[in-house]
Amino acid sequence: MAACWLLRSLSSNFSTVLPLLARSASLSPLQLASKPYFGRTLASSSRLSAALKFTDKHEWIRVEDGIGTVGISSFAQEALGDVVYCGLPEVGTQLAQQDEFGALESVKAASELYSPLTGEVVEVNTLLADNPGLVNKSCYKDGKYTHKRHSAVRGGYSDICMRHFRLMQELKQN
Amino acid sequence: MSESTMMSQVRRTFSLLNQRACSSSCSRSSSSFFTDSDSAGLVLQSHSTDVYQNLALEDWIDANVDLQGRGVLLLWRNRPAVVIGRHQNPWTECNLPAMRRAGIPLARRRSGGGTVFHDLGNLNLTFFASKKAYDRQRNLKVVTDALRRLRPGLDVQATDRFDILLNGRYKISGTASRLSRKSSYHHCTLLHSADRSTLSSVLRPSCPGIQSNATPSVPSPVANLLDHAPSLQWEELLGALVQQYNTEFDLHSALTVIDPTNESMFPGVGEMEVELRSWDWTFGKTPKFTMETQLELTNEQPPACCSARLQMEVKNGRIESCHLDIPVDWLPVRLSGELSSVLIGERFCPHRAAAAFSALMRSESGATHTRLHRLCDAILTVMG
Repeated sequence: MAACWLLRSLSSNFSTVLPLLARSASLSPLQLASKPYFGRTLASSSRLSAALKFTDKHEWIRVEDGIGTVGISSFAQEALGDVVYCGLPEVGTQLAQQDEFGALESVKAASELYSPLTGEVVEVNTLLADNPGLVNKSCYKDGKYTHKRHSAVRGGYSDICMRHFRLMQELKQN
Repeated sequence: MSESTMMSQVRRTFSLLNQRACSSSCSRSSSSFFTDSDSAGLVLQSHSTDVYQNLALEDWIDANVDLQGRGVLLLWRNRPAVVIGRHQNPWTECNLPAMRRAGIPLARRRSGGGTVFHDLGNLNLTFFASKKAYDRQRNLKVVTDALRRLRPGLDVQATDRFDILLNGRYKISGTASRLSRKSSYHHCTLLHSADRSTLSSVLRPSCPGIQSNATPSVPSPVANLLDHAPSLQWEELLGALVQQYNTEFDLHSALTVIDPTNESMFPGVGEMEVELRSWDWTFGKTPKFTMETQLELTNEQPPACCSARLQMEVKNGRIESCHLDIPVDWLPVRLSGELSSVLIGERFCPHRAAAAFSALMRSESGATHTRLHRLCDAILTVMG
């Protein structure tokens, strides 16, 4: 199944959140390279981790280039039923982990979306506004949420990794 | 059991069920409370008939009561009101000018679904449960079983869209629900003796030409239970529903009447009510939409007629952009431009638009003033 994204953000808490989220990606036949290149970050690799990680609320996150992409899992979209409405935040919105950032509506059930990350929304999948059914059809690709931006990095990763994040942040700011 | 004993039991139940209020020192007393079967469920009836107070109470229960392993049934009714779903557009769903004239308020609920008309002949039931226990068909079975017990010949069936139909045709109940972080609620209407003519007159669109991705309502023919079971009293209906809820969920809860404005029992409920009454919630949460329509403009002296095209984009209930296409021989371009720009940022509301227009109109006179006035009236009419 292709992956459907909802939003992208630079996050301030990938380091604390991601290690906790590594549930089995058995739902996704689309398993991207799961080896995080921590040791080689400064030198060459632009990908911190391309694995899909899942929260206990059935959202998935993929981190690439310091940007987190958020979507909902196959399990969640099946449980919801046909999605008839998808409301997402504006680019630039600051979100804290667990903040309510949007909503999905399936057959008469309104369900809130909670942010798995802290950060700033940098991109929203605008296709979903007109085509909320994409969340069901391709929950791992076209139905993804938006990306979020890091504002700071906290411990949990190695020093090399932290320097990588800051480097990426500086690069993005220039 | 006296009323005050019941109230203090409800209060105690709420404070024990209230996850936030309960510090760790409370938990030792709650273990004995868990073994009491009455704590597994609560049946409440709201004393209020104010739609905002009742919706606020639902929000409060959803946010504050620990529903893991227990459920709550809330029974309520409202004085006449129109209630739209979380992601709906009031301008397409209901007749706002007719509602204003009749003093019927509009409320937006937090659950999904379509637009309904509430009055004192409509009973609302809210089934609160944990997300694990969320089961709309089971809740609707409580309603249909109760009705069949009351009147064994009654043909009532829940559909796969979670409506309840009478005689396979008439909708007597509609459903909506909300899924929060840990909890859920499923509420439904039940038409006992609602005013059907008011219902059909208010559930019509206000404005033409609206395009949006808001969730649309699915209109259905409706019927009142009283028309098909003339001896079915309101109190009898309530009693049967409470009994069936207890039977279905193996509980022994008595119906307790509560005051949803009681801040000491429901701390913070007043603030929730204020939010639900606000324009920012009711209208401002409308998903963005565009409105495009033709305005027919006529003149008497000299007799003339022309069409103008009006296009607006509305976001968060406010006019984000506005384009007016008017034949230049009817009104100077300068004026149609000024008219459009004066609306930008204003609420999509005929009162606000009228106030914005009046300043513009004061600076014109004669034939221009008359035409401008006509144009403004035409715009106000299509804004509901």
